[in-house]
Amino acid sequence: MLYREAGQFKTSYAADQAIFTIPQDRAAFWILLALGFIAIPLVASEYVLLTIMIPFLVFALAAIGLNILTGYAGQLSLGTGGFMAVGAFTAYKLTTALPGLDIVFVFLLSGLVAAAVGIVFGLPSLRIKGFYLAVATLAAQFFLIWLFNKLPWFSNYSPSGVIGAPPRAALGLVTVTGAEASPVAKYLFTLAFVAILALAAKNLVRGRFGRSWMAIRDMDIAAEIIGIRPLNAKLSAFAVSSFYVGIAGALWAFIYTGGVEALAFDIDRSFQILFMIIIGGLGSILGSFLGAAFITLLPILLDRGGEALGLPVPVNVLTNLEDMIFGGLIILFLIAEPRGLARLWQIGKEKLRLWPFPH
Amino acid sequence: MQNGKTLGEPLLEAREISLSFGGVKALRGVSLAIRRHEILAIIGPNGAGKTSMLNVVNGFYHPQQGTITFKGETRRAMRPHQAAAQGIARTFQNVALFKGMTTLDNIMTGRLLRMKRGLLWQALYWGPAEREELAHREAVEKIIDFLEIQAIRKIPVGRLPYGLQKRVELGRALAMEPELLLLDEPMAGMNVEEKEDMCRFILDVNDEFGTTIALIEHDMGVVMDISDRVAVLDYGRKIADGPPDAVRADQAVIDAYLGVSHG
Repeated sequence: MLYREAGQFKTSYAADQAIFTIPQDRAAFWILLALGFIAIPLVASEYVLLTIMIPFLVFALAAIGLNILTGYAGQLSLGTGGFMAVGAFTAYKLTTALPGLDIVFVFLLSGLVAAAVGIVFGLPSLRIKGFYLAVATLAAQFFLIWLFNKLPWFSNYSPSGVIGAPPRAALGLVTVTGAEASPVAKYLFTLAFVAILALAAKNLVRGRFGRSWMAIRDMDIAAEIIGIRPLNAKLSAFAVSSFYVGIAGALWAFIYTGGVEALAFDIDRSFQILFMIIIGGLGSILGSFLGAAFITLLPILLDRGGEALGLPVPVNVLTNLEDMIFGGLIILFLIAEPRGLARLWQIGKEKLRLWPFPH
Repeated sequence: MQNGKTLGEPLLEAREISLSFGGVKALRGVSLAIRRHEILAIIGPNGAGKTSMLNVVNGFYHPQQGTITFKGETRRAMRPHQAAAQGIARTFQNVALFKGMTTLDNIMTGRLLRMKRGLLWQALYWGPAEREELAHREAVEKIIDFLEIQAIRKIPVGRLPYGLQKRVELGRALAMEPELLLLDEPMAGMNVEEKEDMCRFILDVNDEFGTTIALIEHDMGVVMDISDRVAVLDYGRKIADGPPDAVRADQAVIDAYLGVSHG
């Protein structure tokens, strides 16, 4: 059986509503999951785990969060960094105030606090749209970072303003934060967290909530006449989005860097994640992963490529050159396929429906 | 009555509705009743206030004066989502679908008000949430069969031709299982065959589901054929109201359409 949608018949609505309707997709998914959970921890070096896989996963989670808000609900946000900071600082305050609380719950609670903050900063979306809303979320970004910088209470009066992750165990089993945690444990913990949350996000966007978000995005007037309350739809999008982004922030601070200051979540971070969902594909969970992979891997590939070619260029020129190639690729990409990598994938599938026949 | 149908009590009664935008008076003291199970056509020249009237019923516009009684409940104004919750659905003159979503998802949005499972159940998509989703999918598939749009189920509606988009929009309104269905020019811009299909769907909806329908239409042939009653608006006033034949013979209506010298 070929890999395509045509000719694969379903006999129940349940089969038709499944996430992967093509058997090969299902198989590929399980293989990928097995690779992630078994093969990579066995073979990958510490460097790959800590500087490629973990940031990729954390970015993917943040991208899913922003994609829910911007890609699905159509509310442009530039406050992603700010909400990540809320997650990171909440996790820090919680775990230092309550050392006995399991880190899994710490992260989930941090997500909930970020969700609450997200709702507050989402209130302007009930009145304003588009670029004006983007400016309002920009205010959230600057205000939150200023707040965490200015009030030493948030970093427990650390003189540098840096919050360091104390050693904590996940579900009382294995230490995943702090200096002693093994890279494999950190990686597996992050992967499990991201995998479960990504599945939950996929379930949300294909159900009632996803449909009401997309309805608000595509035509808010029509959404209202079929009974969707804009208040509920927009604020739930802000809440769920900030929940994901907040957890990503906590993972960033606790698992990836181990110690972080508020400035790590500045406006650059917001833009970085926005680029991910634009390149990966707005309104696609798969796209969030593809975009995160693109943005995290490309600089590394460029770096390695430069080294491999053995170019006789000074290091500082090389760094600038990388930035230029990176920027150029992004622009090229946006011109060639403005709807992202996920869209390319979809086009491929549609072509395969009829292949090898032209019509 | 036409078709030997017995028309019931008024489902909706608008009394003395006046609506103005700044100095422009869109509606001037219009009273209009829509009876259970009937097909009411609202006609009139351009700018007569037909769409404004639907928008008032639907909660988009809040009239300065007048009241609306729907299912025995009197109100002055409400939000569109409240109208939806009470059982009023509508379609728009220029199609108002969710362009990025598939036909299936568009019609599924019509079921949103009936879906109750919370965020956590949805995130798990397991047990009650899955059963709920599948039950609604089944209801939606019935509508898809009814409107004969099986083939375009998985196609984003932005890519569909205009006539089909109108049909999907009707499907989304039907998915709400409304008691009152408002159709704003359901046949505008269609060719003869598409109009015939649409007429058949409207009559079937009225007949099979007993849905009360109020529609705005410019094609007089269609209006005279399918409606039980016709109301005529002109310059924001209702100038005639009655069975199609009586309205066609009404001198005020002829004057409004053909023009008359006020000398």
